[in-house]
Amino acid sequence: MEHNYMVEVDNVSMRFNLGIEKGFSLKQWFVDIGSGKKKEKKDFWALTDVSFKVKKGEVIGFIGSNGAGKSTMLKVVAGVMNPTKGGVKSYGNICPMIELGAGFDSQLTARENIYLNGAIMGYSKEFIDSKFQEIVDFSELHDFLDVPVQNFSSGMVARLAFSVATVVDPEILIVDEILSVGDIAFQNKSEQKMLSMINGGTTVLFVSHSIEQIKKMCDTVVWLDHGHVKMIGGKEVCDEYMRTMMG
Amino acid sequence: MQVVNNIKYVCKKYSFLLKQLVSRDFKVKYKRSVLGVFWSLLYPVLTMAVMALVFTNVFKFTTPGVNYLAYLMSGLVMFNYFSEASNLAMSSVVANFSLINKVYMPKYIFPVSKCVFVGINFLLSLIPLYVILLATGTGVNLYHIFLPYAYVCLFLFTVGFSLILSSVAVFLRDMFYIYGVVISLWTYMTPIMYDIAIIDKPALLFIFKLNPLYWIVYFVRRIMLYNTIPEINAWIYCALVAIVAMVAGIVVFKKTQDKFIYYV
Repeated sequence: MEHNYMVEVDNVSMRFNLGIEKGFSLKQWFVDIGSGKKKEKKDFWALTDVSFKVKKGEVIGFIGSNGAGKSTMLKVVAGVMNPTKGGVKSYGNICPMIELGAGFDSQLTARENIYLNGAIMGYSKEFIDSKFQEIVDFSELHDFLDVPVQNFSSGMVARLAFSVATVVDPEILIVDEILSVGDIAFQNKSEQKMLSMINGGTTVLFVSHSIEQIKKMCDTVVWLDHGHVKMIGGKEVCDEYMRTMMG
Repeated sequence: MQVVNNIKYVCKKYSFLLKQLVSRDFKVKYKRSVLGVFWSLLYPVLTMAVMALVFTNVFKFTTPGVNYLAYLMSGLVMFNYFSEASNLAMSSVVANFSLINKVYMPKYIFPVSKCVFVGINFLLSLIPLYVILLATGTGVNLYHIFLPYAYVCLFLFTVGFSLILSSVAVFLRDMFYIYGVVISLWTYMTPIMYDIAIIDKPALLFIFKLNPLYWIVYFVRRIMLYNTIPEINAWIYCALVAIVAMVAGIVVFKKTQDKFIYYV
């Protein structure tokens, strides 16, 4: 092994400018001139000086209240966002499972969407060809392959998306709150699939609000609070978190 | 060498994604329409027919020496490619925000895929164009082998221009409205339905010749309608237009793409 760690997050800070949300508008500009008010900058630090390292095969979970920066953290690791400060290094191919099915086109059939979504995830054509049957088998949507996805129920879409996303054997898996897809049978199945990936040596970064799940799956737990790392450690972090949250 | 290898790697890695995006657009476009892909052939002819009806009967436009229908059609096919591709490409980055926000992929792939998608439509619309050329007795000559040069320049110009448009549209959503007006002005500034000879003021003529599309349309028409090889300066202008647009497009897009995510 050339690297001790699969993911190295080094003093990452991420700033959002909340003022940007409104953007520049001519009307506002005139109003501001009229009132002689200076436009105040509203900076919002979603993450401040977050550092951690993930070893190969380690499962690391992120907990914290809404808006604590968990999803932003995952997006920074996935390369979707560049951090304002600090750096992220990852060694190995990343499979981001952040809001599955984002790449689906509702007018296309399931078959076409498997290829489209696969391409978006960065798979090659040969790879999808060889795994096509596996994807269909896992999703159990054999009878609906040539039906446009817009006619699917939301559970069926989630099944299809999960099946496409997990067919690859990534070295680093990024999971944002998706274990609750489909009906109970499929939830079980998807959890089994995740566990088998983890046991297969995949490094996992995992966000969930289910403390049970985190406890069951994670070796290391990071507690984020308003963008700061409040605590980092083993399962005891979960207990501490629960104690604080419940008062 | 490093750069070349890098480009090769990117092309290989993302060509499948590009193909998928283009074929998605194609499938979605003609889904549930009875005539399907025939619209790509029929639509340019119908637009031409409408314009020909108006401009020959109401405005009495003529083009000395060449057939008006062939003149109109050759200009329309070129210009329509540009206006349709740049329009679709402009909104492509904004429309795919939900994806950009979740999965890493090169963002330029969205405008480029739109330009390729409309490019396929463009190639299809060459069929009715050639039908018109033959039907009006304009005919086909050997110089047509040089036409792909103009098509490539048109494509590169459109891609470069679209890269700029699509990134500007992220920061300034007003662009969608502004560009609608710009395009209609551009349509009339390009000699598509009239002969540039009707412009008699030298200053105005100079402005008209600054229009990059003028040169591409000019190049195509020299061959198609006048059966001559374009002068050397037309070749140079076409290449220049393509290169400048591409360089500017790549620079602007590269500089701004990391900020896209804050403007969702």
